[in-house]
Amino acid sequence: MTVTPAEEASEAFVPVEPPPLPAARPRLGPGIRVNVQGRSVTLRRLRRPPAGVFRLLALLGPGLIAGAAGDDAGGVATYSQIGAQFGYQLLWVLVLITVSLAAVQEMSARLGAATGSGLLDLIRQRFGVGWAFLAAAIVLVANAGLIMSEFVGIGAAGDLFGISPALLVPLAALVVWYLVIGGSYGPVEKIFLAMSLVFFAYPVAAILAHPRWTAVARGAFVPTIQPSSAYILLLVGLIGTTITPYQQLFQQSAVVEKGVARGSYGPERADTYVGMVFSNLMSAFMIIATAATLHVAGKTNIATAAEAAQALQPLAGSAAKALFAVGLLGASALAAAVLPLATAYAISEVFGFPKGVNLDFRRGRFFLGLFTVLVVLGAGLALIPHLPVIQLLVWIQVLNAILLPVILWFILRLANDRRLVGELHNSRADNVLGYGTFALVTAAVLVLVANQLLGLVGVRLLG
Amino acid sequence: MGAVGMRRSMVMLSRFLHAPIVDRRGHRASLADVAVDPNADCPPVTRIVYRQRGMLVALPWQDRSGEPAPHGVLNVGDLDTGEPVAPEAAAREVWLRRDVLDALLIDVVALRTLRANDVWLEVVGGRLSLRAVDGSAWGIVRRLTHGLVNRDHNLKLVDWTAVEFLRGDPAAAARGAAYLGRIRRLPPGEIARLIEFLPYLHAVELLLLLPESLAAHTLESMTPERQVQVIEELEDTSAVRLIAHMPPDAAADLIARLAPDTARRYLQQMPPAARDRVVELLRYPADVAGGIMTNELIAVPATLTVAAARQALRQQLAAPELAYYVYVVDNERDRRLRGVLTLRTLLLADDAATIEDVMDPYLVAVNPLEPAARAAQRVVDNQLFALPVVASDGRLVGAVTVDAAVATIAPANWRAQAPRVFS
Repeated sequence: MTVTPAEEASEAFVPVEPPPLPAARPRLGPGIRVNVQGRSVTLRRLRRPPAGVFRLLALLGPGLIAGAAGDDAGGVATYSQIGAQFGYQLLWVLVLITVSLAAVQEMSARLGAATGSGLLDLIRQRFGVGWAFLAAAIVLVANAGLIMSEFVGIGAAGDLFGISPALLVPLAALVVWYLVIGGSYGPVEKIFLAMSLVFFAYPVAAILAHPRWTAVARGAFVPTIQPSSAYILLLVGLIGTTITPYQQLFQQSAVVEKGVARGSYGPERADTYVGMVFSNLMSAFMIIATAATLHVAGKTNIATAAEAAQALQPLAGSAAKALFAVGLLGASALAAAVLPLATAYAISEVFGFPKGVNLDFRRGRFFLGLFTVLVVLGAGLALIPHLPVIQLLVWIQVLNAILLPVILWFILRLANDRRLVGELHNSRADNVLGYGTFALVTAAVLVLVANQLLGLVGVRLLG
Repeated sequence: MGAVGMRRSMVMLSRFLHAPIVDRRGHRASLADVAVDPNADCPPVTRIVYRQRGMLVALPWQDRSGEPAPHGVLNVGDLDTGEPVAPEAAAREVWLRRDVLDALLIDVVALRTLRANDVWLEVVGGRLSLRAVDGSAWGIVRRLTHGLVNRDHNLKLVDWTAVEFLRGDPAAAARGAAYLGRIRRLPPGEIARLIEFLPYLHAVELLLLLPESLAAHTLESMTPERQVQVIEELEDTSAVRLIAHMPPDAAADLIARLAPDTARRYLQQMPPAARDRVVELLRYPADVAGGIMTNELIAVPATLTVAAARQALRQQLAAPELAYYVYVVDNERDRRLRGVLTLRTLLLADDAATIEDVMDPYLVAVNPLEPAARAAQRVVDNQLFALPVVASDGRLVGAVTVDAAVATIAPANWRAQAPRVFS
């Protein structure tokens, strides 16, 4: 620090003594040499964009989170049930819909980048307020179901710890509500996220269980169809939990939130693809781990979370229950906070109401009210005594699958609308995959619904 | 103003659009859209647009006495006399269904965004005119039920005079389509805050509606992510013009966030004077004092008299945001820092005195390679608006303002809300 003494300053033309260089010279990066109008300068403020692996890592974000959102309470329940009941037999469906999922999610991300608007917003813009209302209603019903399933998951996790769901579920609802409305949710989200990382135990458990890998490969790549209603139900549940309207909605808003502009969308595709493949790889390991432990042991129906937890025994032994409970609690709490928030956001947005957790209750009536109702409703329904937990979770995924075709249809129409998305419209391959998925999902849902209506097999599904 | 209550005399646009058109010979058509003259406070209906033989045609709207019945029909002279709508001209007009109904609006009085869930017409001064918009849930309920479910008491509508509407298409603004331009009355910080709630294409469109200097200020007030997104969406020429209008430190912050190729392209197109300042700032990395300083300063040679200095500063005072301190240098070429005086001192001082006599030689200066956080802390500790940045050879290269210091030190979530002294 340089303070020039007064005596010196009174002499003529003594410049201010330059401040000394800092003791430790800062390390200057290489910067980028730029030739501007014949003059070459090194600009150290400019940053070279990361290359190679770092480039991919820098892109990861919305896709990875949207993918991870698929492995929530409902996901764990459905994958566990599939593994227990059918072993590796349904793996091929998972492989197939991974491609579908990646294509659909990429369209959603692309819509977000091309327009900067959410999905419901675009539906209103292109198809009018009536269709937007229908889509909003579908999203509301599907997500309300999912929110309920998250609270059921929280209750089940509590059960494993020996805490009564009647205590834990309302407490969790209160905590989630308070954290989000109070604005202190950010750091807590990381705790939930860290807890759900426990599900990384599944791949390890799957390998330690020594599955017959030839059987796994056959299940993954040789399609087999069983004409039983249980099979169809779980197939639709598998689709419903893997491809959910919520994920598309979330992916699109996350891309909008991230601020991806249409000019720089190209590399973002990698994020979506990596996220979806990663997420479904995790799902596959859940199925494999359960199949290699429960299915081979002849346990083909899972009724409680405690039974689902047994899939982790090859890794954790007697601690399997605790490990499973931690993961389930983290994943469920994470989704229980994000789902109502995202739903309230999307629906407030499409009708133009003020949105955001920073609003006071007078201005943000609708947004905060809807958020509150969703949390209370979800927790309340989850408290109904004697719920068949795992079955219920599977059925909520089936409901999602039934609603999915409508949302898919809108996404496909929008992603093909050149006036809206310009250069970023669907390629032919996108459309083949997209409409293929639409047809597959619709067919599966129709078969299920027809089967339920006709009672062809004459077997009651819910035990 | 800004809010009006609903009156019986008002007509809901969504129902008006359903009314069939019938001409004297009994031919019928259905209404496609309604054009209004946007320049009036309550824009009167100018034309009605309908479809005939697959083509959009329009008839001038003639007001008859009284109000149009929402349940009834619209009587016109002869449907065959409608003239075809020219696409280019139509794109510049304001059509209520196409441009306003369901559009994102900004209420420039209540300072919020809303959706035009419904639009209300009313006869004003004998002419059917656009009167108000409804952003509430009731607007949607009423529309979806075709007016069956209604609630008209205590309903707050937004007066059209408080509204700016956006088409969501930057190209429309660039083409010269009609807008209201009421947003221009707001200060740039407020516009930037509202823009945060809009999809980015709407944000770009909005920016294009503003006069250049207001647009540059608004751009400067936006969050860094928004800035990058918006600037990349603009044509190079408008992007460069806006950046050149920004203070050099803000321009450097923005350019530093762009991909190197884009940055180079913009720099090459900038006017030389502005470019040189920005390039000078970009030479320092972000984490040193040089990376957070501004180099748009006011400096006078020490040998001038106060009167001559006042004269000399007229030119210089126009641009810089940091206009409180006048830095005193030995001469324009070497720019060695000798002291500082405030504008107040300069105004009060005796005309004949030299700058050297009245300046304050006690100077705390910052080296451009000092860590940014430490330099910022020193600005705050000294409780000054700015500290000069002096290179090792004594040259005055810039100043770290209190705004930059606060932005460097403050936690990220606090930064956006911090008041700024020099903007």
